[in-house]
Amino acid sequence: MNAISPNPSRAYDLNFARYVYENIDGGERLRMCMQCGACSGSCPIGQQMDHGPRKLFMMIRAGMKEAVLTSNTIWNCVSCYNCVVRCPRKVPITYILHDLANLAVREGFDAAKKADNARFAKAFMWSARKYGRTDERLVTGIYYFSFGLLEGMKRGMGNQKIALNMIKTKRMHLGMPHAIKAKDELQNILAKAQEIQDRHGKGA
Amino acid sequence: MSDKPKSQTVLVVGGGIGGISAALEAAECGAEVVLIEKAPTLGGRVAALNRYFPKMCHPTCGLEINYQRIKKNPRIKVFTMAEVSGISGSKGDYTVTVTTTPRHVTPACTACGDCAKVAASEVADPFNYGLAKMKAAYLPHAMAFPMRYVVDPSVVGTPEGQAIKAACKVEAINLDEKPESFALQVGAVIWATGWKPYDPKNLTMYRHGEIADVITNVEMERLASHDGPTKGHILKPSSGEAPKKVALIQCAGSRDLNHLAYCSRICCLASMKHAAYVREQYPEAEVDIYYIDIRAHDKLEAFYQKAKADPGIRWIKSKPSRIEKGASGEPVVCGENTLSREVYANAYDLVVLATGMQASAQPPAGAQLDDYGFVVSEEGVFGAGVATGPLDVSMSVQSATAAALRAVQAVRS
Amino acid sequence: MEKKIGAYLCKGCGIGEALDFKALEGVVTKEFKKPVKSHECLCGEAGLAVIKADMEAGEVTLPVIGACSPRVMTDRFMFPGMTPIRANLREQVIWSHPAGDEDTQMLGEDVLRMFMTQATKVNSPVPYTEGEFSTTILVVGGGFAGLTAAREAVKAGHDVLLVEKKATLGGHAASWSAIVPSKPPYHDPETNPLPKLIEEVKASSAIRLVTGATVTKTSGMPGKFQVELSDGSSHTVGAIVLATGFRPYDATKLSHLGYGASPDVVTNVEMEAKLSAGKVHTHAGAAPKSVAFIQCAGSRDPNHLPYCSSVCCSVSLKQAIQLTKADPDVMVYVIYEEMRTPGVTEEFYRAAQEAGVIFMKGKASKVEGRHGITVTVADELLQQDVPLGPLDMVVLATGMVPNSTDPDAPAQEYGAELLNADINPYPTEGDYKPAASAPPGGSLLNLQYRQGPHLPMLADGFSDSHYICFPYETRRTGIYACGPVRRPMDMGEAHEDAMGAVLKAIQVIRNAAEGMAVHPRAGDLSYPKINLNACTKCRRCTVECPFGAIDEDEKDYPVVNPTRCRRCGTCMGACPVRTISFDNYTVEMLSSMVKAVNIPDEFDEKPRILIIACENDAYPALDMAGIAGHQYSSFVRILPVRCLGSMSALLISDALSVGYDGVVLMGCKPGDDYQCHFVKGSAMAKERLSKISDTLKSMQLEVERVTMVDASIADSARLPKVIDELVAKIDAVGPNPFKGF
Repeated sequence: MNAISPNPSRAYDLNFARYVYENIDGGERLRMCMQCGACSGSCPIGQQMDHGPRKLFMMIRAGMKEAVLTSNTIWNCVSCYNCVVRCPRKVPITYILHDLANLAVREGFDAAKKADNARFAKAFMWSARKYGRTDERLVTGIYYFSFGLLEGMKRGMGNQKIALNMIKTKRMHLGMPHAIKAKDELQNILAKAQEIQDRHGKGA
Repeated sequence: MSDKPKSQTVLVVGGGIGGISAALEAAECGAEVVLIEKAPTLGGRVAALNRYFPKMCHPTCGLEINYQRIKKNPRIKVFTMAEVSGISGSKGDYTVTVTTTPRHVTPACTACGDCAKVAASEVADPFNYGLAKMKAAYLPHAMAFPMRYVVDPSVVGTPEGQAIKAACKVEAINLDEKPESFALQVGAVIWATGWKPYDPKNLTMYRHGEIADVITNVEMERLASHDGPTKGHILKPSSGEAPKKVALIQCAGSRDLNHLAYCSRICCLASMKHAAYVREQYPEAEVDIYYIDIRAHDKLEAFYQKAKADPGIRWIKSKPSRIEKGASGEPVVCGENTLSREVYANAYDLVVLATGMQASAQPPAGAQLDDYGFVVSEEGVFGAGVATGPLDVSMSVQSATAAALRAVQAVRS
Repeated sequence: MEKKIGAYLCKGCGIGEALDFKALEGVVTKEFKKPVKSHECLCGEAGLAVIKADMEAGEVTLPVIGACSPRVMTDRFMFPGMTPIRANLREQVIWSHPAGDEDTQMLGEDVLRMFMTQATKVNSPVPYTEGEFSTTILVVGGGFAGLTAAREAVKAGHDVLLVEKKATLGGHAASWSAIVPSKPPYHDPETNPLPKLIEEVKASSAIRLVTGATVTKTSGMPGKFQVELSDGSSHTVGAIVLATGFRPYDATKLSHLGYGASPDVVTNVEMEAKLSAGKVHTHAGAAPKSVAFIQCAGSRDPNHLPYCSSVCCSVSLKQAIQLTKADPDVMVYVIYEEMRTPGVTEEFYRAAQEAGVIFMKGKASKVEGRHGITVTVADELLQQDVPLGPLDMVVLATGMVPNSTDPDAPAQEYGAELLNADINPYPTEGDYKPAASAPPGGSLLNLQYRQGPHLPMLADGFSDSHYICFPYETRRTGIYACGPVRRPMDMGEAHEDAMGAVLKAIQVIRNAAEGMAVHPRAGDLSYPKINLNACTKCRRCTVECPFGAIDEDEKDYPVVNPTRCRRCGTCMGACPVRTISFDNYTVEMLSSMVKAVNIPDEFDEKPRILIIACENDAYPALDMAGIAGHQYSSFVRILPVRCLGSMSALLISDALSVGYDGVVLMGCKPGDDYQCHFVKGSAMAKERLSKISDTLKSMQLEVERVTMVDASIADSARLPKVIDELVAKIDAVGPNPFKGF
């Protein structure tokens, strides 16, 4: 089902907001947001987000569908849940952002994101195969340098602060990469998954 | 009326400004009143405040008048260090069990202070919210009513206790005093049990108790009080230095479904008062007020406008997400300024958490409560002041006066 | 009964060690020729027994107790008969001055002299109880607050006269569709209680209802108010509850918010009427699909109402919830600057959010269009100007203007003097500009008082108390305002407020009948008596009384209305010929106490400075200085007064003429944010002091000898320093040349 597009002649058209309330995971509680900013202030990468969750929610109310679904805010959530536990109105912010990202994909607002995602998926799969888990540093490293050496260094430097914040909020660690215990089993599972995918084709 | 009340006495539980007002208003209408208070002195929370908003006058001023009214009114009986342990009966005919905690000092005490002179050990001082210690034999504060000392139970059975006893020339120390219970027959009960500050330990993100220079609003009142631990000088707890940059964080617990779902009504205005304390003592100091909405109802708007006119006070519409410890141990307030979208991390010398008001006692049988623990008035058992909801002082007294009428109506023969 | 004075001196608490008791006793026996007994602990059972035995034997009728402060042991030193005189030898002598010191001893003896003298001058007050006292309560205003007051007064056993200007009862709220919740869970609009309340009031036999009438004249005093109504009837009532409510702010002044330009821009009052009618529709007759509420329409606006009207936020929440309940598809917006839902009303804010109402923080800068209205919002959260619309309806959340005057009656000039405009409790800094005058209109009660027809109001026009601790304080004793005429409030609060005002009305009725004062000198039986033979008809007492208790008769002589009086003594202090006195408090008594002090001659180098201290704040602060062990000069002599307003300027010249080197007045802060418990007593003292320089010049004395100090009860650490500085300053001026005359 597509989100109802807002009436372009009307600022603060509520059709989009009402769609979000009713169809987005956790959207029901979005009505309760009182714009205090605890979420955007809690976010380890809040500074890197174009709007941050708080303002994004106001934009939903304002009917700014396109701006919301093309926002980087919905893609950048690292699921640390700091905003969720601190939200004084118990809005499940993480769920809402993730499901808005799904909506953006469904409605085709993700062209740029798609190309980007392919690079990221590659890095992710490499880490999963090697360690049985994601190592944030290596995944982002491979992902960044997939754009070329210069761009990779630029991206790496530009995101130092995020890295620091992620370490602080225990979303990233220092030291040797950890591997899971039963790496072999995981690799068997991945191989099986590949086999199924090969058999049925993409999009299974 | 066919069902005449058996007792025409009104019991008021709680001797803060609400309870004192309810007791006086009822007694000055001719009712017999028993006023009981858990602490060793009347005055409650307001006695520990430095000033009231918006007049910036001293709470002890009104307490003095009220104490004079009590002293001169034979219809009011006051029991301190006493609590209600049970209520039975119905409107017009209640039996209330009152339990007392030993004061270890009899009414013969003249408040001469000889006991405190020989007391050596120190105990936590609840009047100063633990910011200071006091002698084990103490007068709670200079405005204590009754003006009578207290001996802390920790010295009972010790040589120090004996020395304290021996120092009293009028033999007013009774170290053998035990808790006692007695029954009262009353026709109406007013719960005026007030509030307690919301426990900042629950606000883990604000790190009260962990970062020394993060304090609460009630602690700020003691720091600013002439009879407080710093004799009225607002100083950083960590170093005793004067603060140059101060943050006042609103809704520390209030308006938060994880903590207090309601708005505590007074915090915005109390924080403006705190800004005034700081600016008065340190004209060079900067004060930042973090808020969600500024709630300055009716004429209190004038107090807000006055604070807004002060160039030394900055207003940041933001609920800070957390406080971090800076490089030198100073508090760093972090969050998003919702008007500028700026994600900030501002270091301060002193951070004051405007913690809210929580109903202070769970009244036993007889009173109906709402989901927040506030008393909802009923037949015969009533609430007064902050026991009925978050109110400022003026509204508490208004509520207490209304409660006095309810009680007077209930015991009317 | 003949007054027999006996002194009792206490040696407890260190007084015995610090002072020479032989000498103290000598003061009583030799100078006053009265019996004296000293005891180790006067407040103990044995000590009290000594006093009781003498009193029971009839040897003493008025004990003078030289011990601790009168602020402590009050109940213990209470005996049948006259109230004992207390000479404070503990807090203000031995605890604040060095023990065994010559000057401390002189101070102790002087304190005894002052209070022995007081004992010789006081008489037991004879209360005013003449004539009949009514117990009926007049309630003016038949809206929610007034009806509640009437019903509750009856429940407490009083008859009520209820006067309503309109032909029907209920006021503004009579037809409201629902009200803001005041009961748990505070989540949904509540049923309007008015229809039921009106029925209850109508059914009560104890309530005499007069509708379609106003009060044309009010004279008399608590217990004996004479009230005339516009229907020609007259009544005697004991007390008055003023519940005249509010008028909505005049929306025609809000053309900048589109009012008048479009029929679909309505006020919250007009929206309420539509909701009650059960049919909200636009001017064109359609059900609105989009509605915006504009908050603070007139309120918090220096060009309109400077204050916050308190209720508009929750009223808009209620109306918004009602709109969404009626039609879930309607788009409802609330444009606000600060969402003010204090206390448990926060839950009502959440209820409106749950209902899907959109809240926009910002100011509505423009309202345009007749149909399909567009509101331009300076949206602070999106940081852009948002053209909100097209909207079918716009609701202006207009505020409350108190009916502290009758808008339908011819305007009566207030006059600065009558409004007490000298007392402005609002800051003038910042954007807050208090209303320049009272709300337009005539008087509600038409008080036949010397000080004018109105119940005084604060600078914003509300008839509220200026005291935080005492919200029902009134400058017209026996008349208590409640509901929105006192403060902007919703119905839940108005209900509590009406109950509070009724309690105060009952209290004043009861106390007036016994000749007793009400707060703050509750129970005081004394009242001012004027010797008209000496009166010069100068009118100072009638003008200066903070409570308007003194009128003038047809020959311009002052007439005291005893039950209006609050016993502060401002009239006594005002009288230039000392002809106003209380049975137990007179200028002569204070003057004699001042003169009772021994003044050393100038060669002793012991200056004497008189401190005239307000007994409510300065005196306790000095007591607490003693408790805390703060020391100050032993050259001062402290004279407590009921209020600095009761201090006659003559007292200062008396003190200087007997050789005091200086006089210090210690009273509560006057002016804006005044802290005087009698409204303007300390302000009057300040004014009298400003005129004293002429007297000083005529006596050829330096003006530095007389000073006024603002003292608060929290000044226990500051006052000792202030005293020492002033003593040094006065000492530097040199000894008073009148010494020894």
